[in-house]
Amino acid sequence: MDTKETGLLDEIKSKFKVDGRVQREQRIWISTDGSKLMEVCKWLKDGGFTHLSAISATDWLKDGKYELTYHLWSYDDNILVTVKTKIDRKNPSIDSVVPVWEENAQIHERELHELFGVKFKGNPDLSPLFLEDQEDVHPFRKDFNWREHVREKFYNKENEREAVYYD
Amino acid sequence: MIDEMEPAPKGTDYDLYFGPAHPGSGNFGVKLKVAGEIVVSARADPGYLHRGFEKLMEYRTPIQNAVLSDRLCVLEPLNWNLVHAEAVDELMDIDVPERAKYIRVIMAELSRIQSHIIWYGVFSLGTGFDTGFKMAFGYRDYILDLFELITGGRVYPAGYICPGGVRRDFPNGARDKILKVLDKMGEMIKLEELENPALGARAKGVGILKVKDAIRLGATGPVLRGSGMKTDVRKDEPYEIYDRLDFEVPVRKEGDAYARYWIGIEEMKQSIKIIKQALKELPEGEVIDPSWKKPKLSVKIPKGEVYVRNEVARGEAAVYMVGDGGSKPYRCKIRGPDFLHMIPVLEYLLKGAQIADVPAIYWSLNICPADMDR
Repeated sequence: MDTKETGLLDEIKSKFKVDGRVQREQRIWISTDGSKLMEVCKWLKDGGFTHLSAISATDWLKDGKYELTYHLWSYDDNILVTVKTKIDRKNPSIDSVVPVWEENAQIHERELHELFGVKFKGNPDLSPLFLEDQEDVHPFRKDFNWREHVREKFYNKENEREAVYYD
Repeated sequence: MIDEMEPAPKGTDYDLYFGPAHPGSGNFGVKLKVAGEIVVSARADPGYLHRGFEKLMEYRTPIQNAVLSDRLCVLEPLNWNLVHAEAVDELMDIDVPERAKYIRVIMAELSRIQSHIIWYGVFSLGTGFDTGFKMAFGYRDYILDLFELITGGRVYPAGYICPGGVRRDFPNGARDKILKVLDKMGEMIKLEELENPALGARAKGVGILKVKDAIRLGATGPVLRGSGMKTDVRKDEPYEIYDRLDFEVPVRKEGDAYARYWIGIEEMKQSIKIIKQALKELPEGEVIDPSWKKPKLSVKIPKGEVYVRNEVARGEAAVYMVGDGGSKPYRCKIRGPDFLHMIPVLEYLLKGAQIADVPAIYWSLNICPADMDR
């Protein structure tokens, strides 16, 4: 079957040598490694994927990887392309896509930096967004023990009413 | 705009905090750097409503998450119910019965009207037209009464639109009641269209967003359409039964606060049209997939991932759900339209604006902090 989705996927595959699949109508998923990410993103942006719908991260604890996903929408073709890339969990850093999608990418990366601790090289502002008065805490990681954290941060063992939270 | 003006006299530049305790701001603040009457720069200060939904959802099964998804936005819980339910449906490959699809659309559109009414109300308040605010909240109650009749909850439907369909069928007489409420809404829109001169004067030419900037800053929905881009997820990527319905996408070229306000009014008319069509064609049958009739507490979410987009009242909403074979989603990313509208777009629009225009710009974006902070 020859649709606009398979056509676009073949073009990306032959140009960048990446894996990919067509999930259904209007959905394409591509996996690439971190070094090719910028090239792929620039090419897609020039090809009409001007709307960055979201950037997300998934914490694959068992594999020791973070998977970053960039969901891109094209207003001309009405296709959603998701670019996936895996980075090392111990040293999570990747090039920022701020040069490509500017402010839109900036705010998404700032959020992920706070919640997952992923460093985006080249992002001008990675200051905390939602959390206040919490240093070096990345609550959306799978190994983050929130029960422990809440107990230590907010409850006082000496206080009779709050001591019940200490089992 | 700043460059053209003479520098503000010494001692007139200061920091001004708009929110989080401002009556019109919601649980959200903006720090404004002000020189005289002009805003030099704005910095959003989010986080007052951060509840960590994405993490909470990793600890709950889909049927529990359906209830949780109401709280993603106070003003349009049914639309968020729908996005979450669609993500689970697609990931688990559930067939939704036809009647449920129609009911889902009717409820989502009622929720959209209700959200736009509040938009009209607070926008009127922001531009100094208090009567509009009171009128809006009065008329909103008709829809809340309908929600109470159909879902059991006035504001939060408690997971009425759930994976597999909808929780309950319409009760007896619901159809006539909906039609009656729609007539009331038509009345209200006629009143809203009688433009208050103060509102027009305060909103026209204020907070202009060009279409190029709108796309760059990630604006979607009414904000993007108010800047002249004809796009709507319901048309670009029809979900449920939107491909069978006849409706139009209102667009304005000006990109100012008034254009966005006008889009809201026009969208209410289109929603009424949609509900009337859906009620007319509403088929008989089941309203939920038989295997989901009793709340399923232990399910197996297969390995895989989906990205589901919907058009909610404020713009593009999306859920990115990853399954790993367990009973709970491994990751559930929620993309709220206001995350972009409240931080980059608002910061951009406030730069160079007059202090007096801040509420008009702020509310013309139809802002709700709940789905920004999540």
